[in-house]
Amino acid sequence: MLTIGLGHYLTVSAILFVLGVLGIFLNRKNVIVILMSIELLLLSVNLNMVAFSAALQDLTGQVFALFILTVAAAEAAIGLAIVVIYFRNRGSIEVEDISTLKG
Amino acid sequence: MIAALAFYVFAAILIASAVMVVTSRNPVHSVLFLILAFFNAAALFLIAGAEFLAMILVIVYVGAVAVLFLFIVMMLDIDFSRMREGLQRYAPIGAVIGGILFLELLFVFGSWQFAPDAATLRLNATPGPEVTNTEALGQLIYTDYIYLFQVAGLILLVAMIGAIVLTLRDKPANSKRQDIGVQVARAEAVKLANPPSRAGLGQLGIIRRPLPEAPKPKAVGHDHHDHHGGGHH
Amino acid sequence: MNWTLVLPELVLALAGLAALVAGVLPKRDTSFAINMGVFGAMLLAAVLVMAQPEGTAFAGQYVSDAFTRFMKLLVLAGAALGLLVAMDWNVKEGLAKFEFPLLLLFSSLGMMVMVSANDLIALYLGLELLSLSLYVIAAFNRDSERSAEAGLKYFILGSLASGLLLYGASLIYGFAGSTNFDRIADAVSATEGVPFGLVVGLVFVLAALAFKVSAVPFHMWTPDVYEGAPTPVTAFFASAPKVAAIALLTRVAAGPFGELVEQWQQVLILASLGSMILGALAAIGQKNIKRLMAYSSIGHIGYALMGLAVGSDLGIRGLLLYMAIYLFTNVGAFAVLVAMRRNGRALEGIDDLAGLGRTDPAMALAMTVFMLSMAGIPPLAGFFGKLYVFLAAVYGGYWTLAVVGVLTSAVSAYYYLRVIKVMYFDAGEALDARPTSLSVVLAGTGLFTVFFFAFPAPFLAAAQAAVAALVG
Repeated sequence: MLTIGLGHYLTVSAILFVLGVLGIFLNRKNVIVILMSIELLLLSVNLNMVAFSAALQDLTGQVFALFILTVAAAEAAIGLAIVVIYFRNRGSIEVEDISTLKG
Repeated sequence: MIAALAFYVFAAILIASAVMVVTSRNPVHSVLFLILAFFNAAALFLIAGAEFLAMILVIVYVGAVAVLFLFIVMMLDIDFSRMREGLQRYAPIGAVIGGILFLELLFVFGSWQFAPDAATLRLNATPGPEVTNTEALGQLIYTDYIYLFQVAGLILLVAMIGAIVLTLRDKPANSKRQDIGVQVARAEAVKLANPPSRAGLGQLGIIRRPLPEAPKPKAVGHDHHDHHGGGHH
Repeated sequence: MNWTLVLPELVLALAGLAALVAGVLPKRDTSFAINMGVFGAMLLAAVLVMAQPEGTAFAGQYVSDAFTRFMKLLVLAGAALGLLVAMDWNVKEGLAKFEFPLLLLFSSLGMMVMVSANDLIALYLGLELLSLSLYVIAAFNRDSERSAEAGLKYFILGSLASGLLLYGASLIYGFAGSTNFDRIADAVSATEGVPFGLVVGLVFVLAALAFKVSAVPFHMWTPDVYEGAPTPVTAFFASAPKVAAIALLTRVAAGPFGELVEQWQQVLILASLGSMILGALAAIGQKNIKRLMAYSSIGHIGYALMGLAVGSDLGIRGLLLYMAIYLFTNVGAFAVLVAMRRNGRALEGIDDLAGLGRTDPAMALAMTVFMLSMAGIPPLAGFFGKLYVFLAAVYGGYWTLAVVGVLTSAVSAYYYLRVIKVMYFDAGEALDARPTSLSVVLAGTGLFTVFFFAFPAPFLAAAQAAVAALVG
């Protein structure tokens, strides 16, 4: 029990993944918290990648994680820019207000 | 033993702060817990031997992304007291669904099976301890992965263009820009003329406007005068 | 060798950087010149794609074969037509900024990376280059509340899909020990039985790609985003990115996971059935023509996925032809929507088309052709698209798919015919004069749709070669 293996990492990452998904679906308050949940989701994926990389003794997983980090930073920038223009138009970032488009 | 202890401590703090990110009512608290989560994830990366990624996580995520979040949360003028408590309403059903999803994932990981020839299929086996993690990654991303490295660069460029085109207001109404060229040239402000000598202003076509009349002294009312001049004192 | 193989992508990337400099440095407005330059760069890239040699590059991350050529030409054609459709609209709406063609160019580059991806990392990076550009152009009309909302919705759901894709990719990597498609195929075929972790990873990846092509049950974002985004942006969304995502889905399913065909087949059959039924039923009550086209596109993706779900060479050939025909018909129909403008105001209601048969007979005729083709009336192109996938389903013995496909085609014909009825039998005022660029697009796509039956051979041969490269 005291040796840390793949299973421990995968468990932690699964918890983070579930929290991220729940944060996206259950959040009724604030769009920015949804963006943070997406960051948690990507963090859990990175944890998975690093754990598999260590277990397989293969660097591809770390290279993948490096690219994910890069893209996640770009995604956060775009997401926050869209939130800013949404706020300028609407004056609110509550999730329940995002419902002009319906059919 | 110590590594195992460290793992449990960091993993516990990581999960606790992730829970706080999602459930916090104040977005500023959420961002701060997100930073804490990133620090602890970096520690987990270190334990797994991914030193370079751990450093990048701290520098890029805590240093740039999380601060960007904090900046936006502070910039948007959000009325925190109006934030509804919707999470509590859906929390029980969310916990149930999340628990099921988690158990399913555990079931997947519990019987984790590598491909029988996974060891021979590896493309980039981790080098021995004589090469540091950073050096090994550098030798990969600038050679085998140069194509994807360039694509990642373009993604960052698109993010930059996108953020600028969405949010930059070119000419805010209440700001004035300085144009040094115009200011120094003064081209239209000075007019050079070559008048004939000994010519009067009238001959040159320059008409003097009549001087404005001197303001007449204000007529002073009689009563007023009396009031001041009179000797009440 | 490596860099010469990726010449089309390289040229497109350098053209993008040059266009960026040309947009930023001069003091005056250069957006028209940049539009033209980007259009030229796309054509040049298409020519280079046609001359591209076959092979792999960069340690197997990049692949070039008949399949990638076919798909890249479609993608570039869709992007170039999308640019033409958008130019006049952007000027009229005050959105004529040089960033718009630039983002279209980078999204096309992302699609080309996707189509050529032979590695999970390349797949992810190409998809993200595309998606990030699309998030921005969905919200491009930044002073419109609807456009900003469309961008926000698309961003949140798109990022969630990316997260699922990555989680699945990490499981696949953890199983196979490599992200390369060929090596994953080796790992899958060397394993006895079906490892549970691998299947879960595959399902995550398929779900994310189903989101990108907006197949049921991951379609929820489509109507809202299509309605909120500026109309030419919607036209682009509905054409080139779908082709690229379908190409990726086909490559992943037929390449590394070809041995697990029983596993992904069930998922795709359900997605195909659901998309066809939803696309037919939900579009009936719509009043906004952009929403109608959103549900119509969901239905068309259902037909296309049928070709992949039957899991045969014939089916994949049908899928490729379906996407080619769908692309051109769809761009044509959207060109009509972009031209819907009265007294300078853009219109979106189906009723606003009323009287078009008298006031602009040429455009009404083109719209009729597109609607009939989408409904699958012979001898228009859409009929052949459906014919090929239905035949593949029948040959494979998938009677449920074929019967549901025919029934939903009949139902969806109702709302396509309703559009035609509104144009010819209802009275309405004339629209503004349509700009030349839209007339060119309408004429080109209309002629393709009408005369496809006369010259199907080159398309069939190209699709056949693409299938051979993919499967053989």
